[in-house]
Amino acid sequence: MTVIRGGGPVVMAWSAVSPFGIGADPFGSGVRAGVPAQAGPGAGGGLVRSVPGFDARALLGRKGTRSMDRVTALAVTAVGRLLGPDAWRPPAPGGPVALVLGTTMGSARSTMDFTRDSITGDRPHLVDPARFPNTVMNCAAGLSAIRYGLKGPNATVAGGRAAGLLALNYARRLQRGGRAHTVLCGGAEEYSAARGWLRRHALGPDGDGAPAGEGCAVLHLEPSHAPEAGEHGLAEVAALEFGVAAGPGEVRSVLAACLRRALASGPFAPSDVWAAATGGTAEAGDPERAAVADVLGRTPPVRISCADLVGDTSAAAATLQIAAVLATARRTPAAVGRTALVTSADRDGTVGCALLRLLPGAVRGWGVSSK
Amino acid sequence: MTTIIDERFARIREIVCDVLELDEDELTLYGSFVDEFGGDSLQAIEILSSLERAFGIVIDQSELARMVNLSAVADVVAESFGKQ
Repeated sequence: MTVIRGGGPVVMAWSAVSPFGIGADPFGSGVRAGVPAQAGPGAGGGLVRSVPGFDARALLGRKGTRSMDRVTALAVTAVGRLLGPDAWRPPAPGGPVALVLGTTMGSARSTMDFTRDSITGDRPHLVDPARFPNTVMNCAAGLSAIRYGLKGPNATVAGGRAAGLLALNYARRLQRGGRAHTVLCGGAEEYSAARGWLRRHALGPDGDGAPAGEGCAVLHLEPSHAPEAGEHGLAEVAALEFGVAAGPGEVRSVLAACLRRALASGPFAPSDVWAAATGGTAEAGDPERAAVADVLGRTPPVRISCADLVGDTSAAAATLQIAAVLATARRTPAAVGRTALVTSADRDGTVGCALLRLLPGAVRGWGVSSK
Repeated sequence: MTTIIDERFARIREIVCDVLELDEDELTLYGSFVDEFGGDSLQAIEILSSLERAFGIVIDQSELARMVNLSAVADVVAESFGKQ
């Protein structure tokens, strides 16, 4: 089956480091099984679904990991998987491959620890300089590119739960403007006592009680016109729309408007929507799910709620949702040619959605991997 | 006195190995941090600041230019102690 593409970036492959484990396979299996990843008590209070057995030194070796923080290690691991075991066809090392990574605020832990050391140490400057790069929010994207020789544009986009979609928009712009051909694009978030503390205080008594989560997912994007995109592509990013909600009460209507704009941007009938991956948790009553139902006038055949499975992964959430759609489509031949909606709503008000069009590669796959 | 200096040298060696991510037997007395061990400018600052914290000394940043191998670092630390 040929699916006519509309010019958006095409996802060729994806990788994930998630509470289900390291790599695309455990994430895909976990999503398809629909059983939440294990939760445990978080260092910052509340529950957390963390990446099991994640040890930077064991996974990445001794060189360069001594002062690497967790979010950087998660990103370096996920990007590395996309160039290795989870790759469709690895881009040439040293080539001008772009990397765009979504974040909330880099590593809250690194920033707070470094500041604390300066205040509590004998002298303000007696800090560990090796930990300084970790305090900058583009550390994860920068170190990933250095490690793997990705010499194209390197960008970090902050946007909380919507960061993965904002990063995708940035990637789309890089390709449209001719600034990059191959783009690796995703989002990363670590769990730490510092983030747990901030999250608990930010949510306050109105917190939805859902466990925190962490992880990183990365997509390999080729431009729509790339010759391989039609044959091997998994999905096209056909539309991206964003809005701002002035408060939680506005998420439903603002997101519904985004979804309508996305559907109106091309020949996308509401009846063709096969799946919706929303960002909220069931406990929160998920206004995103309500917005999807408002716009479609029905519930789509497949509903994916990643946050219920892997926790609130914040900046990693939207890309993990896209990965979840692709992992589900892998076993659903009828999904080819149809569309999927991925939605996000960050507490700071950013609301967004992506409309994906599933390509034949989504089901056929391109390798021996079982994902 | 000799024991103190030996201990100090062992501690310097340990710090340099830690920063450059080397095993103790890999680090040589005159091997260049940059050319032989892949060190960079941030790691040079790390070595300097780790020495300051470990020994409670102050090393002027201008000494960084000299601190290119283990032997030179030991000299700089010794001079720093001498100034106290």
